[in-house]
Amino acid sequence: VATTTDTSSVPAQRASRFTAAKLREAGWGYAFVALPMAVFGLFFLYPFAYGIYISFYNWGILGKVNGVGWGNYSALWHDNTFHIALKNIFEYTVVVVPLEMTLGLSTALIVNAKIRGQKFFRAAFYFPALASSAAITTIAIYILNADGLLNRVLGTHRSWFGDPATAIWSIVGLNAWTTSGTIMLMYLAALQAIPTDVYEAAALDNTGGWRTFWRITFPLLKPAHFLILVLFGIGALKLFDQAFIVSGGQGGPDYATYTPVLYIYLKAFHSFQLGVAAAAGVVLFLVIFVLTVVAERTVGRTEAG
Amino acid sequence: MSAAAERVVVPRRPWRPQRLVVYVLLALVSLLFFVPFLWSISTSFKTLPETAYFSLLPHHWTGAAWSEVWTKYDFGTYIKNSFFLAITITAANVFLAALGGYAFARVRFPGRQLLFLLVLGTLMIPDQLRLIPVYVMLTNWHLIGNFSGYILINLVTAANIFIMRQYFLTIPKDYEEAARLDRAGPFKIFWRIMLPLAGPALAAVTILQFQGTWNDFFWPLIIFGQGNTSHYTVQLALGLFSTQYQTNWPPLMAASIIAILPILLVFVVFQRYFIAGVTAAGVKG
Repeated sequence: VATTTDTSSVPAQRASRFTAAKLREAGWGYAFVALPMAVFGLFFLYPFAYGIYISFYNWGILGKVNGVGWGNYSALWHDNTFHIALKNIFEYTVVVVPLEMTLGLSTALIVNAKIRGQKFFRAAFYFPALASSAAITTIAIYILNADGLLNRVLGTHRSWFGDPATAIWSIVGLNAWTTSGTIMLMYLAALQAIPTDVYEAAALDNTGGWRTFWRITFPLLKPAHFLILVLFGIGALKLFDQAFIVSGGQGGPDYATYTPVLYIYLKAFHSFQLGVAAAAGVVLFLVIFVLTVVAERTVGRTEAG
Repeated sequence: MSAAAERVVVPRRPWRPQRLVVYVLLALVSLLFFVPFLWSISTSFKTLPETAYFSLLPHHWTGAAWSEVWTKYDFGTYIKNSFFLAITITAANVFLAALGGYAFARVRFPGRQLLFLLVLGTLMIPDQLRLIPVYVMLTNWHLIGNFSGYILINLVTAANIFIMRQYFLTIPKDYEEAARLDRAGPFKIFWRIMLPLAGPALAAVTILQFQGTWNDFFWPLIIFGQGNTSHYTVQLALGLFSTQYQTNWPPLMAASIIAILPILLVFVVFQRYFIAGVTAAGVKG
């Protein structure tokens, strides 16, 4: 924003009053953003640099001990539990995000259709997204326990969160159920932004509904696909609350619910190796950053599909 | 799903019996969304032995679990803590986001674009990278296990500033120009004229932030989870108890309902703003 003023053609007095007003306005501008910028500087930008700094030190609960160079990163490289955490989170993300998007888009199409009780169904599908992760996970633990409702209905006796074979997939089911409501609202906004004449043209061509959806609606939703993929992909990679709560903060059984963020938490607050934990935070940030760029380069390209 | 897709594209169609099937299906699906909640409400009014039986409604209604939540588990304190933090942080966010959002939208000052980019850049910094440094900083300042530590790091978010800025950009400039002719200062213009016009955005920020803070589990765990339980929030208590007291279902379900109820009430009353807010927050890219 250039704020140069041309003073050659206006009387000097008016010019000085003009710049004085501009100065005053700028002063107010800085005053308005001072506190928010202080918060961002102190608790976002500075920690960003500070976190990278800590990752190069042997850092205990009482503070800095000594510099270790790339030592914490090579510790991560050789730490099998960190690899398990990464493997778990990739498997989880690759399954949960497409599932959430499919559910979200399907419910959005239903609610966007001209049906009676549209508002009721929209509220019903969004309802689980309101609940906190702690409450919804507690309810899920209750329903999925060996003597719980789900086993009664299925006639089985499986501890879904307690069995290493099913624990992470139970979290997939839980989170697909709770987050699809938010995705539905985002798709709904995108669907309602599509001009109706596009569909009128399709109707004239006598194109079937299913074909119209895949040929017209789905490609037109591309910006929404990209946004949701990135937002909820990042969210999935940061999985913590549900994994923590179903496993009592341990990531079990047998590392089945062990995630990178849980690794960071346990390294910091159970092993008191804050340097290693900070290094894991940097690695996770880089993974998320690279995957976001990849998504932008592939799905994000907005040429007409 | 093909039926649903069809209905989107061909709005007017003669009534067919298939419609009834669709409605029944929809009703069943939405029931599926409610069943876990209904089940937990029902359980909260049961006795522990009765939870072993597969009955939708309790045979002997009892409020024992609900009183246990207050007497045995001290949820009164946790509820108070949760409300205190959610209200304080929401108020701070609404005020600071409105102030910052207005400045970024309408007040001209050198470096405005750059600072705004910096604000948006903070959206890229994940909490997990901030976790260790912020924890170390709060420890050094003796703010771990302290409400001020949690409030301080949550005073304002970039997403809220963004929502406010986008809304202020849509308000016609005539209002401010009229006020400026009356020699009103920038703060007066902001406070008396622009703020009252920004109702929907303020509502969206209020609702989203209240929900975000009320539901937060991660940062309360880091800041209040290490010491004694006097600073626990509802979510923290629930998350830490749920595995510990896994067999005592009725009070645990009562506590879960308490953890959901305030947000549910906000949703029922302000559904319109809620949905607008979620959509606005999502379209920030």
